[in-house]
Amino acid sequence: MKKQNSGMLSLKESRKISKENFRITKEFEKNKKRKVDASFYTTTMHNNENVIEFDDLHTFFFTDLGVVKSVNGISFDISKNSIVGLVGESGCGKSVTSLSIMQLVQAPQGQIVSGEIRFNNDTLGLDEEGHAKCFDIVKMPTDQMYKIRGKDITMIFQEPMTSLNPVFTVGYQLDEVILLHQEGATKEIAKEKSIEMLKLVGISDAESVYKRYPHQLSGGMRQRVMIAMALAGNPKLIIADEPTTALDVTIQAQILELLKDVQKKTSASILLITHDLGVIAEMADYVVVMYAGRIVEKGTVLEIFENPLHPYTIGLQKSKPLINSDNDDPLYSIPGQVPNPINMLNTCFFKDRCERCIQKCETGYPNEIKVTKTHSVFCYLYEDVKEEVK
Amino acid sequence: MFKYILKRIGLSIIILFGVSVIIYFLVRLMPTDYLTTKFSSQLQQGTIKQEDIDRIKELYGLADNSFKGILTGYFNWAGNLLRGELGDSFIYEKPVAQVIVENMGISFIIAFIAMIFQFAISIPLGISSATHQYSFRDYTVTVLAMVGISLPSFFFAALLIRVFAAELGWFPVSGLVSAQEVYTNSFSDRIRYLLDMGHHLVLPMIVLVVLSIGSLMRYTRTNTLEVLNADYIRTARAKGLSEKKVIYVHAFRNTMIPLVTLLAGILPSLFGGAMITEEVFAIDGIGRLAYKALQAGDIPFVMGYNMFLAVLTVIGTLFSDLMYAVVDPRVKLGK
Repeated sequence: MKKQNSGMLSLKESRKISKENFRITKEFEKNKKRKVDASFYTTTMHNNENVIEFDDLHTFFFTDLGVVKSVNGISFDISKNSIVGLVGESGCGKSVTSLSIMQLVQAPQGQIVSGEIRFNNDTLGLDEEGHAKCFDIVKMPTDQMYKIRGKDITMIFQEPMTSLNPVFTVGYQLDEVILLHQEGATKEIAKEKSIEMLKLVGISDAESVYKRYPHQLSGGMRQRVMIAMALAGNPKLIIADEPTTALDVTIQAQILELLKDVQKKTSASILLITHDLGVIAEMADYVVVMYAGRIVEKGTVLEIFENPLHPYTIGLQKSKPLINSDNDDPLYSIPGQVPNPINMLNTCFFKDRCERCIQKCETGYPNEIKVTKTHSVFCYLYEDVKEEVK
Repeated sequence: MFKYILKRIGLSIIILFGVSVIIYFLVRLMPTDYLTTKFSSQLQQGTIKQEDIDRIKELYGLADNSFKGILTGYFNWAGNLLRGELGDSFIYEKPVAQVIVENMGISFIIAFIAMIFQFAISIPLGISSATHQYSFRDYTVTVLAMVGISLPSFFFAALLIRVFAAELGWFPVSGLVSAQEVYTNSFSDRIRYLLDMGHHLVLPMIVLVVLSIGSLMRYTRTNTLEVLNADYIRTARAKGLSEKKVIYVHAFRNTMIPLVTLLAGILPSLFGGAMITEEVFAIDGIGRLAYKALQAGDIPFVMGYNMFLAVLTVIGTLFSDLMYAVVDPRVKLGK
């Protein structure tokens, strides 16, 4: 126990961990490759109006220092035709959540350990009770995943500078998606559609951009190309993983505007991952706040901004610089640091940084407390509120 | 592009001049020379006098070993070169260019076939070793490749000869064709001749391939690993491409970019011969001739051979730089 606290491992312990990790990850990798019948990974949606439902998702990284619980039991839904914002500071598991949807977590160390990601692509029909049939992405073998990636679920990454392959033309990379996912697509059809997509994302000289290499485009243009690529498969869900972080401010606004516009046109849902509360307030319908691999609060954008409940959400909002404020006080920052992700105790992870910590915080992780129908918080401070609502 | 090539050729003339100066001085500074070695036994027996040797040395231009003498010797050699003559080889008693051209063929064939095997084996091995990083396969391939790199060629060749030629008798010990066979000019005899030659070349080729696989395989592995962690590979996966396409289309093109550097070394190794391997297997390729010439102090041949390699290296480097622009669209040649 002493050694664990100091964060140092003996050679023997480390070797034991590596060996154990190897055994565990091998099992997971084997499961991804096996051939199974479609019924194995088909289940039903809890709500037909959702495009995706996360149910108690756990994604762990088996590192040589121990198991990192990057995503530790999160549940939330994304309803059709909506923008859901996922906020949290660096390393809280936002990106891992999004990569879990695509089964793109860095293997073999990173593995989805348990839980369900129910993805509703509207093609499987309803079961006897009227629930929509859907796929559970966690159980899907990799070769089935190829059909969903890039078609039903697409992704826009943080770094437009490095996210496009430097040795292929923009056109080639766009055509690839269309040739792969659109049935009966020929090169001519693909080219036509690619150019149409480029025009859709606001690139005026689409024909010439089509022939160019990524290094000949600016960052904003490349992000537009990434968005075009994400739209090419007519997706149900677009995951935008910090799409504006690497861009300068003037371009940021344009890209966000474009995303919003595109969402309206295609009526796909967007999962917007960001640490920028301003972006969330601008874009999202529903907000999920994550901290250290778990959800601390979720609710509609109004509820989260007008009535933040969890001390972490409140802290986040206080640490946002306000341009029009008159006082010269230094900017607020949440004291302390994110806890070491290895060997975390089963209590509220925020308690060491929390200003309103109470005695009860020492016992177990707090349960979900529904404040309203859409707003819930994971904090002992609001246990009595719950009763009021009832 | 054209301007760039012209500029590079201009530069290479300066490089070649420097190389020739260094090689000439090195060869002339060797402790013994061709004539001293050749006549040493006759001198001891008294059949030839020291004055005679000195006179012959004068004729060969080897008498004056002062700085000035070497300098004059160099300019004589360089003057001949400008007239298009590499001089006559001392030990082969023929023009150097002719000796090189006559013996280059067999070295080229050996090196060319070995290189095809080298690429065909090490690049797929490197890629599969990278995609299965830290697996049993990765470790096995790496260990075998390291064994290959570490073996000295003469030792490995001797080992192969001992086991497969002497003990098992599967392959001939040395040479290029069996001495006791007679070949006419008919078609069937030519085929027989080629097959016999192929039979003789199996062991030398195994030596060349085994020794060279390791470095290229490790190089490919490192590059592939680096590329596989790149963001655009994640993008390719997120598009829904199969793992095979991700690796062999999206990653491979990028892996090839640093590998193009290796092209610079290909030309000299294709035409330059493999000195030690040819010597061990007694194959009269250009490498073996150069080895013998160096031992004997055959200045015109050593000079001619090394300049030949230097020219090939310069062309190879230029070629690999041009290839960069072909494989990597970000590279623009021009100034």
